[in-house]
Amino acid sequence: MIGLNDYAPIVGQEVIDQLQRLAACLGPRRFVHINSTRTGGGVAEILERAVPLLEQLGLDVKWEVIQGDQEFFEITKAMHNALQGYKVDLSPAMLDHYREINRENARKFTWESDFVLVHDPQPAYLINFLRPQAKHWIWRCHIDASRPDRGVWKFLQEIVSQYEASVFSMSQFAQNLPHPQYLIRPSIDPLSEKNRDLSTVEVQEVLDRLGIERDKPIILQVSRFDSFKDPVGVIQAFRMVRRHTPCKLVLAGGEAIDDPEGPRIFAEVMEAAKNEPDIQILLLPPDAHHEVNALQRASDIIVQKSTREGFGLTVTEAMWKGKAVIGGAVGGIVLQLRDYNTGFLVHSPEGCAFRIRYLLHRPEMARRMGKMAQEFVRHHFLITRKIRDYLTLMILRENPTERIMEL
Amino acid sequence: MKISPDQPAENPFSFRECFLMPMPIGKKAINLRELLQAVRELDESVLYYHIFQSRLAITQPGEEYPNEFARWAATALQDIKLAEKLSSFDPFEYENMAQVRQAVIDILEEYLWDIPFIPWARSGFEFHFCEASTVVMRSQIRAHTLLEFCESLRKVGLDSIYYHFFEARWRLGVLKADDFSFWIETNFGLPELVAAIRDIDIYFYSLREIRDTLLGLIHQHLGELCDRTQ
Repeated sequence: MIGLNDYAPIVGQEVIDQLQRLAACLGPRRFVHINSTRTGGGVAEILERAVPLLEQLGLDVKWEVIQGDQEFFEITKAMHNALQGYKVDLSPAMLDHYREINRENARKFTWESDFVLVHDPQPAYLINFLRPQAKHWIWRCHIDASRPDRGVWKFLQEIVSQYEASVFSMSQFAQNLPHPQYLIRPSIDPLSEKNRDLSTVEVQEVLDRLGIERDKPIILQVSRFDSFKDPVGVIQAFRMVRRHTPCKLVLAGGEAIDDPEGPRIFAEVMEAAKNEPDIQILLLPPDAHHEVNALQRASDIIVQKSTREGFGLTVTEAMWKGKAVIGGAVGGIVLQLRDYNTGFLVHSPEGCAFRIRYLLHRPEMARRMGKMAQEFVRHHFLITRKIRDYLTLMILRENPTERIMEL
Repeated sequence: MKISPDQPAENPFSFRECFLMPMPIGKKAINLRELLQAVRELDESVLYYHIFQSRLAITQPGEEYPNEFARWAATALQDIKLAEKLSSFDPFEYENMAQVRQAVIDILEEYLWDIPFIPWARSGFEFHFCEASTVVMRSQIRAHTLLEFCESLRKVGLDSIYYHFFEARWRLGVLKADDFSFWIETNFGLPELVAAIRDIDIYFYSLREIRDTLLGLIHQHLGELCDRTQ
């Protein structure tokens, strides 16, 4: 099992020591996380790594997963989409079913805790049944809720208002709520299969298996085939670059199965890439972390030309691998990339093509920007920082009247 | 004045660590007029975050603008003239946050007075206001001598540099003083070194640059002593 000390060579021993001191100040608190899935999805991925690390710091951590039927998950998926801005109508019967499934789950939870962190809307209603079982209830929203559907948000707002605090990933996702809101930015795990160091042999093995030759500079975008990721825009940019500079484009990702537009977008991508031998489209399974890691490491330039984005962890992953990244100027990408510094922000296929050419002709600059990007991620977007934020949050919530808490 | 590198201080320097939790307040500005209105109305803690604390919360490597208002003017409004004005204002010239607020208001009002249009942020670059809560913790790192102080400076996190250099100015109530120079002055004298540290243009440096500059100054004044810590 990966231990806290395994992160010391990456973030520095002082960061690990700091976590241990912070945890010692907090004391052996009981900390329950509740979400709706044990595997798959970003939240489960984070918890799988964060829970053992928190335990190693002396906390008594439980990770509970609520169970539900298909109807429940259809309702909560609709809530998720509504928070992201889709217009959604939830009938009173659907809302009753949401409450009922939460009630059934609550019966199974008999623990008592100091802190409960409830992730996203699915288990949010549990607080109505379990409140006396924990001292501090905090709601964690991982979703881009910057422009939520009004009706669904009104319903959730009433529930979330019962919590003593909430946590969002970006300041623009914060809401009008009657309690303190905190910012914990997303993070990646540098030791996970998607981000760990790979040897050149491992990288080459993946390229051989996927049939990718390294005869020209590789431009890569890893994302679902979803219109907001603008894969067609990437192909347009690539064609503009190709008129001047030899290179190849790899578009790697899964089909967006839960997106009704998915097949249409994929067909559009295939059509746009037709008759172009230097474009390779890879449909990868959702657990192809090793392959994505190798592709990112083998690439010369990584693109994330989204037209809408929550935080954009694929950008973080690419930056961590020391790559020059070109990203759409939206959502959290704006926070991560700074022109000429840690990457380039672009607004159009033309802008994307321009910056690809710019970097292909200046490999030394691309290397320098990649190095800066990696350092930026090391200080702000690794899992150790998230653990520190959790500990800090708990200390602050135990002393809610203090703005500066001196231990 | 010569002092021994191992001369013990009367009071050892106890480094503090500083953990910041940004707290978005759910308000934003999409143009310069809205920013001005917000600067007039929002709590001082919000101004404090965007002028000082944000450099600890998140900073791009090689950040050129010293506060978030200047950076927003440059990147979101793409108004370099305003960014220049907001970068040149030094909050340490004022005695309290009320005066700092008035200084920012004056810059923005004067700028808006002179232009015939309202600069708008490009889409996706709205200014989202935050404040922060802070946990301060006594670190295990202590310096009993100047030799240990040099060693410790290399070991502590940038959060400590922030705490002892930025927070200290408001805590001590002497805007040109910081914890480091205060400790050196009260324990060892060394007026030239103390003056040099207080002359560091801290608002323009990143936390990393401040640490390097500090080490450079100590090296310059106490070369032999500092070399022993390399």
